[in-house]
Amino acid sequence: MIKLFGTTFKNRVFIASGVFDFGLKYKKVSNRVGAIFTKGITLEPRKGNAPPRIFETAGGLINWVGLENPGVEKFCKDILPKMKKLRTKIFVNVAGSEVIHYERIVERIGGQVDGFELNISCPNVKKGGVAFGQDPKIAASVVARARTKTKLPLIVKLTPNFCDPLRIAKACIGAGADGISLINTLYGMVYDIKRKKPLITGGLSGPAIKPFALYCVNRLRGLGVPIIGMGGIMTGQDAYEFLLAGASAVAIGSAILRDPYAPLEIIKELKKYPPPPSSPFKGED
Amino acid sequence: MVRRVTIKKKQWFTDDIFGLEIYLPDIDPQPGQFFQVRVSTTYDPFLNRPISVASYKGGRLLMIIRVLGRGTKMLSQKEAGEDLQVLGPFGKGLRVKKKKSLLIAGGIGVAPLLFLAQKMHGKRIEFDFVYGVKREKDLIKKSHILQIAKHAIFVTEQGRSKMTVLGALDMLDVESYDIAYACGPKIMLIELQKLNLPIPVYAFCEDFLGCGCGLCLGCAIMYKGEYKRICEDGPVFELKGIEFN
Repeated sequence: MIKLFGTTFKNRVFIASGVFDFGLKYKKVSNRVGAIFTKGITLEPRKGNAPPRIFETAGGLINWVGLENPGVEKFCKDILPKMKKLRTKIFVNVAGSEVIHYERIVERIGGQVDGFELNISCPNVKKGGVAFGQDPKIAASVVARARTKTKLPLIVKLTPNFCDPLRIAKACIGAGADGISLINTLYGMVYDIKRKKPLITGGLSGPAIKPFALYCVNRLRGLGVPIIGMGGIMTGQDAYEFLLAGASAVAIGSAILRDPYAPLEIIKELKKYPPPPSSPFKGED
Repeated sequence: MVRRVTIKKKQWFTDDIFGLEIYLPDIDPQPGQFFQVRVSTTYDPFLNRPISVASYKGGRLLMIIRVLGRGTKMLSQKEAGEDLQVLGPFGKGLRVKKKKSLLIAGGIGVAPLLFLAQKMHGKRIEFDFVYGVKREKDLIKKSHILQIAKHAIFVTEQGRSKMTVLGALDMLDVESYDIAYACGPKIMLIELQKLNLPIPVYAFCEDFLGCGCGLCLGCAIMYKGEYKRICEDGPVFELKGIEFN
């Protein structure tokens, strides 16, 4: 058990947004992780991007799913009631193409979940999203406005796509964020050499990005709020490295694409390691 | 859950098509279902490869695979006695209907249709089998198909018949069938759709898959105006509803 931002989690292994849908299919896994971060929820339903949506790369993959989701209304009506029966903490990943969307989604969902993750770093949508996470002023304004709508934990998801997440994180914390999750996928592309055009442009994930993810987590340590570290975690050792780098918890993403039960193995493996050094973070007991 | 199994048998059907047989007694796979096969225990290649069931009898499951890229090349280097990690079966299985059926296979698309044919044969459902390949030597399981299908037509694009599988359909009275099932390269499915056959046609689709089990939304197909997941909502879709991009 750990306590972060006033919330108790059964362990430090969470499931990252986008790889587990809404956690309703593999409930045995959902019920044993510390928290599930939902697929990104937008104000209106989104069909997602045209295929191809994924392409394998060395030690990982590029995805271009494009935030396909049913929109906040349908999420609240049809999905959330089922998710609430899961024995885990639910964090809604909130995505928007305009600053005002974030606060409206947070307001609509209200107190029905355990917290929110403001996604201002998804590289797979053309408008908004990643651009908000590259500019400290806009990032802070997304957080400040969402903050007025909820007392629940507000986590901001960042990634170093042409920006320094340290600057963005400081601005977000100043605006009232309770925690930072990073890293989101990194810009990447694959070329089709026959057509001489890009085959896919999207977000790179998997073990290929782990060293960079660790570097970023380490760079943000000591800001005074808990960090949820992610990026290519495949094993308990990988998870432990993130804890040593300053994360209070970790999130599993691409590993689930190889095996939906991967988080259970990681939880088991992580138990072999001594507890991470005592954390100075505000909000962690 | 990842199942660790031993490869019972490995055989080459042609110079680039091979079969791996594993023993999985506790499952009841249906036509159209597939397994996610782990290529490497390292992280490169990272993703599992979706491989359809080509035969299942007495717990022995056969996967027929064509070497197309690095992943399938690595799978082709595995031998009997070696371990294999698989997840599944995934995908919505097809409920075999007691209707006079036409099976249309192009290239390695024959693999899942062989399993459909096996099921139909077991249920004494009458079916004809049209199977086209590029080169004569690409034809696999020819005598087996001749044994279980009522009629079988084999065509090759090069060599004697110089005919595509769709050209072969001209030789048939398609209206005499109740239903058709097709699997083959995307271009074959696109051309087949254009023929607008007078009977329902179900297409076995393939794509690069992420998770293979409905979680990541990586394998989208536009079907009847909305994106569906090939892995979870398919991989079998009614052909006329598919919007190919």
